Amino acid sequence: MALLEVTNLVAGYGKVEVISDVSFTLEPGKSIGIVGPNGVGKSTLLQAIAGGIAPKGGTITFDGKNIAGKKPEDIVRLGLSLVPEGRQIFSGLTVRENLSLGLTGRRNKKGANEAILKVRELFPVLLTHENHQAGMLSGGQQQQLAIARALISEPKVLLLDEPSLGLAPTVITDVFDRLKEIIEMGTAVVIVEQRANLVTSFAEKTIVIRDGKVQSTLTSADAANSESLQRSYFGAGE
Amino acid sequence: MVQSILDAISLGGLYSLAALGLGLVFGVMRLVNFAHAELITIAAYTLVLTAQFPLAVSLLFTVIVTVFVALLMEFSVYRRLRGVNPAIMLIASFGLSTVLQRVYELMFGALPRSAVVAPFLRGDFKVAGLSITISSIITIVLTIVILLAMGYLIEKTSLGLQLRAASADFKTARLLGVRSNRLISAAFGLSGVLAACVALILVIQNPQISPYYGLNITILSLVGIVIGGIASLRGAALGGFIVGVVLSSLNTLLGNGRVYAYSWLFILVLVILLVRPGGLLSKGSELERV
Ligand SMILES: Nc1ncnc2c1ncn2[C@@H]1O[C@H](COP(=O)(O)OP(=O)(O)O)[C@@H](O)[C@H]1O
Ligand SMILES: [Mg+2]
Repeated sequence: MALLEVTNLVAGYGKVEVISDVSFTLEPGKSIGIVGPNGVGKSTLLQAIAGGIAPKGGTITFDGKNIAGKKPEDIVRLGLSLVPEGRQIFSGLTVRENLSLGLTGRRNKKGANEAILKVRELFPVLLTHENHQAGMLSGGQQQQLAIARALISEPKVLLLDEPSLGLAPTVITDVFDRLKEIIEMGTAVVIVEQRANLVTSFAEKTIVIRDGKVQSTLTSADAANSESLQRSYFGAGE
Repeated sequence: MVQSILDAISLGGLYSLAALGLGLVFGVMRLVNFAHAELITIAAYTLVLTAQFPLAVSLLFTVIVTVFVALLMEFSVYRRLRGVNPAIMLIASFGLSTVLQRVYELMFGALPRSAVVAPFLRGDFKVAGLSITISSIITIVLTIVILLAMGYLIEKTSLGLQLRAASADFKTARLLGVRSNRLISAAFGLSGVLAACVALILVIQNPQISPYYGLNITILSLVGIVIGGIASLRGAALGGFIVGVVLSSLNTLLGNGRVYAYSWLFILVLVILLVRPGGLLSKGSELERV
């Protein structure tokens, strides 16, 4: 059974429907990419899944439970964490305090120390800056902190909203290498990016969002074929 | 002279406690809770009406009643307004403040109620030939203890960390698991505790309680919050302290001209805000967040 199953999701703001019909499934320990141009509603989709905004329709089944419309603080306790767009670290708090906040979302207060150790091992650079203000970190370090903070609750599914945003290419490679390790350790990952080429080679499948709907689904085989990538991304016959 | 300085410090401390209570709630809800005045008032009434009991009992009872009223406010009014325009919340808090004043008038009468609270804290003592009031020393000691306890709570505990995070970015804090209802209740509860502390200090000096008892100090500590920077608790406490010290000093210095003390205070406020529109402790960017 799928770990996360989104069916006919509708989401938006006020009377405006941004996402009108999106469905996808994610198996435990797997990864899925979501791509589409700026403003198409990728962040809206992730926020609706994580509880940041209430969906207007459709169902979201996570681990056998319908989580559509639940509060974000309850959803994270069920094991679904979002790393929001623009990282949203608490720049006035220290790195250590940012990480401690991640502990709030743990279902099980036992095992917290192990989780912290694991995250430190994964992101050793955070260790050296533990007592510094998070706002002092470089962009790449801030992204690592945002991911580490979400991982401390040991989620079954990690949602990432444009983790590459504003990072230099070498730093992006670094962050994505870390994400590969996270998937290998058994966490399923949903990764949103504007540019398809970042995720198609990475995720098992990638959905392309256009006009509020899933326009097409790409596999890693398509990733090698740049023509089909272009076609599905920009829409056939445009 | 020494007494004047002690008075200024103790008034400053008192205002910083009131400002801290307002700042806690503002941080998590972006709400200027005007009805904080009525928390101070109900605490003062409770102290006076339970004055026949030992001070510790009376104080405990007062804290319980005040925290209860604070939680009731949050649950019955502000919870329903969460996320609406801050201007609407401000108006609602004015409304709530007025309603509570009427309720107090019905319950306790329009005429002041009074009783002697903690008589052993009245009077003065002599140090090196100087006469010092006991209440000013008690106020300063109490304020320092309460500020230290609050500082510990906010800087060192998990609740404090969650309060600081939610004040900076509530949405992200919730994504990490911070429980919004509990945290906001906790902020209101703490503001109730602080209101009870403020009332205790006020009542020692002036045990004539009317339905408007808490109004004056609340307005002045709001002024302090604006001066210090509304987005930070340190700023709020500092601003409250400055207002108290300035007001107390003006009263001493102006002598017969003390009717103008408020005018001078507000001129100072305007000057500060012209130079630092976000308050003394603002970092510039905090203005737009509010
Ligand atoms: N808080 C909001 N209130 C109203 N409209 C919003 C809000 N956030 C985003 N939008 C609108 O929703 C649409 C989709 O935005 P978003 O989900 O951020 O797109 P993407 O992440 O794909 O760039 C845009 O037209 C944007 O203007
Ligand atoms: Mg986005």
